Amino acid sequence: MATYAAEVAVSKRPAKAGRIGRFFFAGNGAGYMFLAPWLIGFLGLTLGPALASLYLSFTDYDLLQAPKFVGMDNYVRMATGDAKFAAAMKVTFLYVILSVPFKLMFALALAMAFNRGIKGLPFYRAVFYLPSLLGGSVAIAVLWRQLFAADGLINSILGVFGIDGPSWISNPNYSLYTLVVLSVWQFGSPMIIFLAGLRQIPQDMYEAANMDGASKARQFFRITLPLLTPVIFFNFVIQTIDAFKAFTPSFIISAGTGGPINSTLFYTLYLYQEAFGFFRMGYASALAWVLVLIIAVFTTFSFLSARYWVHYDE
Amino acid sequence: MSAYSVSRRALLGAGAGMTAASLLGLRPAAAQQKDIRVFWWGSQERADRTNRAVDAFKKANSGIDAKTEFAGWSDYWPRLATRVAGRNAPDLIQMDYRYMFEYARRGAIVPLDQYLGSALKIEGFDKANLESCSVDGKLFGINLGVNSSCAVYDTAAWEAAGVEPLTFGTSWDEFSAKCAAFAKGNKRRRFYATMDASGHEPAFELWLVQHGKVLYTEAGQLGFDEKDAAGWFKLWADMRKSGGCVPADVQALDKSTLDTSTLTLGYAATAFPHSNQFVGLQQLNKAKLAITAVPVTAGGKPGQYLKPSQMWSVTSDSKSPDIAVKLANYSVVDPEGSKILGVERGVPASAAVRDLLSPTLDEVSRSVVDYIGKLGPYTAKLPPSPPKGAGEVFTVLERVSQEVGFGVSPEEGGKKFVTEAVSILKRG
Amino acid sequence: MNDAAHAAPPGDTPERSILHSVLIHSVLIAVSFVMLYPLLWMVSGSVRPADDMFGGQTSLIPSQVTLQAYKSGWFGLQVSFGTFFLNSLAISVLATIGNVLAASVTAFAFARLEFVGKSFWFALMLGTLMLPYHVTLIPQYVLFLKLDWVNTWLPLVVPKYFAVDAFFIFLMVQFFRGLPRELDEAAMMDGCSAWRIYWKIVLPLSLPVLATAAIFSFIWTWEDFFGPLIYLGDIHTYTVQIGLRSLIDSSGTSDWGALFAMSVLSLIPIFLIFLFFQRLLIEGIATTGMKR
Repeated sequence: MATYAAEVAVSKRPAKAGRIGRFFFAGNGAGYMFLAPWLIGFLGLTLGPALASLYLSFTDYDLLQAPKFVGMDNYVRMATGDAKFAAAMKVTFLYVILSVPFKLMFALALAMAFNRGIKGLPFYRAVFYLPSLLGGSVAIAVLWRQLFAADGLINSILGVFGIDGPSWISNPNYSLYTLVVLSVWQFGSPMIIFLAGLRQIPQDMYEAANMDGASKARQFFRITLPLLTPVIFFNFVIQTIDAFKAFTPSFIISAGTGGPINSTLFYTLYLYQEAFGFFRMGYASALAWVLVLIIAVFTTFSFLSARYWVHYDE
Repeated sequence: MSAYSVSRRALLGAGAGMTAASLLGLRPAAAQQKDIRVFWWGSQERADRTNRAVDAFKKANSGIDAKTEFAGWSDYWPRLATRVAGRNAPDLIQMDYRYMFEYARRGAIVPLDQYLGSALKIEGFDKANLESCSVDGKLFGINLGVNSSCAVYDTAAWEAAGVEPLTFGTSWDEFSAKCAAFAKGNKRRRFYATMDASGHEPAFELWLVQHGKVLYTEAGQLGFDEKDAAGWFKLWADMRKSGGCVPADVQALDKSTLDTSTLTLGYAATAFPHSNQFVGLQQLNKAKLAITAVPVTAGGKPGQYLKPSQMWSVTSDSKSPDIAVKLANYSVVDPEGSKILGVERGVPASAAVRDLLSPTLDEVSRSVVDYIGKLGPYTAKLPPSPPKGAGEVFTVLERVSQEVGFGVSPEEGGKKFVTEAVSILKRG
Repeated sequence: MNDAAHAAPPGDTPERSILHSVLIHSVLIAVSFVMLYPLLWMVSGSVRPADDMFGGQTSLIPSQVTLQAYKSGWFGLQVSFGTFFLNSLAISVLATIGNVLAASVTAFAFARLEFVGKSFWFALMLGTLMLPYHVTLIPQYVLFLKLDWVNTWLPLVVPKYFAVDAFFIFLMVQFFRGLPRELDEAAMMDGCSAWRIYWKIVLPLSLPVLATAAIFSFIWTWEDFFGPLIYLGDIHTYTVQIGLRSLIDSSGTSDWGALFAMSVLSLIPIFLIFLFFQRLLIEGIATTGMKR
């Protein structure tokens, strides 16, 4: 994790900031004063349970009896003899790779559409945000079946063209894609954040570009995209972490089974099954820490790469 | 009302145990010894009835306070597990047959034998009934409703297809032929005679017992082999081929809940739920449903058995187990308490309560009571208790049955299922 | 400034503009319908009789309309949904205030101040985003049990005042970094304290991101079910989400009509919150843009 340190330090222009710090903020006092609430929360509320789960990952803990220390057993089992672990990995990576880019592109495209002068803009924004309000509601299970089951809306529409579609949501070849669609459908949060980012781009830059006769495409690639990179970076990192940790969609739609045939077995859903379904909290904790490792590696690379493509207007 | 005076005396007798418990207790004076917490899963109607029963209990026993909590099935277990792990479990909890073994063997719930005949007046329950609430010879649960597998079908749909529906004593082969005939007579699009029950453990277990096998032996090993499993998968593969049962992708919509049953969703005319779910199924279905026994094997043994739909259990965290037992007793044998609960949790285990309730039942509930009454000749004795890991084997059966549905051969499926089940049982 | 101020860029002729806008609106309306179909079905589900709910009803038009589900949902549990709405509202408002205050203070430290160990703490802060909450649930429950907070709202509200949700810190850090640094420097020259810079310069200029954080914070707290599920036992303290989930028992009977009806109602407050804050967001951003 030391790599974040490098990135943050570099992007902060240490010389300048350091000077400010030394002259005006009297050392570290102000920094830690502002950091205090978070630090207290972190040390008092977050760190303890996290360390406890790290310890539990080296134990056999069935929730109902005291944990028994078993060393690396859980990790060894994961690496050697757990077919379901491999299945969950595959499903999760596929979900991350498919859902994140589509969701971000969709969110960006609509944020841009909504950033321009169309009548009824607040109305459309609200309408497009509505699905995201549903979140992880239990109602989604039924709604998604209405769309993607054998006799759902999609097949009714295909039927008009004489196509007899499968039961998308319960066919292992397609079920994961219906969850990807769900994720893309709930694109509201990144859209709002993109919108905020777009609004921060000074209009005079576009006016100047228009004066120079630059095409729309050129303006997009030369002005919009570069200035939006901090927000794109944020959305990318957050959405990817969220996708790795995705739980609720499959928990609700597959009723916690991850089926059919493990085709929607998200990593965290598997972890949940192990913890609360089969009383193996020790193993579940080990699974969780392996996920942390995977996400941390991904995040580190993202922050390293950020140096080359994220432009902070500092 | 005589039941009260007896149990009140029993309560005094248990006073010594109570003091010991409070010495060990973590909670200081803040929690009164006469407070208990009750937790169950279920619908709003169940909550309504149970709360009324608890209120009546409090009224009849001044000085006792009981706080209630409930949740839906899927929220109930993580919530309970968290409380148990935090050593803060409610006193009286609703238990499921399968989970009872997990909780009892890990010491999270306590044996109730010491209360039998004193605070717990359930001698009227028959022996099989008490056995089905026991783990390793000790009583861990108080039966809240007698339950069994059943077949539920849409009467009009079978009639429209021009086929006589299954009934008590219909064999699997006959049922299979009926379903094939249904497919020929049926006019509705994407509609089939029956659900695909190949991944449905109660049906598989019942079929095994009919064939002289068991799901698990007394020693906690698998009681069947690859060939048996393959035979079961083949039975359903053939029905899939004949168009008698729903295709694999439709069956996969079924999450073992009433609202996702292929019957409710309008894909199938027959389902194999538990008998206590009949009332709930009828509420969700426009068509008039009928209840009957699961098919038998020609020349085979009876395969059905009676088990509790749910039970009351007392947790080891409880500081007032005697009050918890008293409340449980009130709800299953006391005329007042059991009348308030009705048959919402299943058919009462006490014959006296059944008689008491029978005039008050509506037609749908009565058919369930009648069904359990008629089941006698089709029932076997309770199979050996499921070993540790049985819950996971259950999920493997479901998955492998889907693999067979989507193209793996029944033989390969049988092999796969047995191999994986054995390795799960070994891990425990 | 409002949306109209960001009118179509110069160069578009009026005719093109009209054609353009008709095209855009038809596309948007079509997409809106697809986006909203499941929600429309939910509304239609809330007025259907129970036996008309499943069995392949793709049509949005119910066979018969009944408002029964709204009644049975609202009054069906021993405590009415009104209580759940008030509880959710109180918890969400308290959590939102805590989140916005605590996260902005922390983000200010990370984005604008220098101190020893900053990168280390920043990395740990991001790290807290990565651990699935299912495995910290039980240790956390034990912790709150020891504090005697279980069965109260405290576990759902107090942690927000200590910025435990790193999402909001990271979000604000990204936006604070975009504010011109010359402003702080000028203020520091004038002898302003860090606190005054935070309060007088950074916060007023960050209205958009604060509004964004407030929207998400409110909505996510409103929608959270795992926390309330574990920590709230007494039905009088239930939130809307737990009330909704209490309507569904997958092992037996469920009141699906009531679930849809109450789900529809539960969207109304968060939708209003969204409408209110999105104005703030848009106007706020416009202001920031002008000052540059």
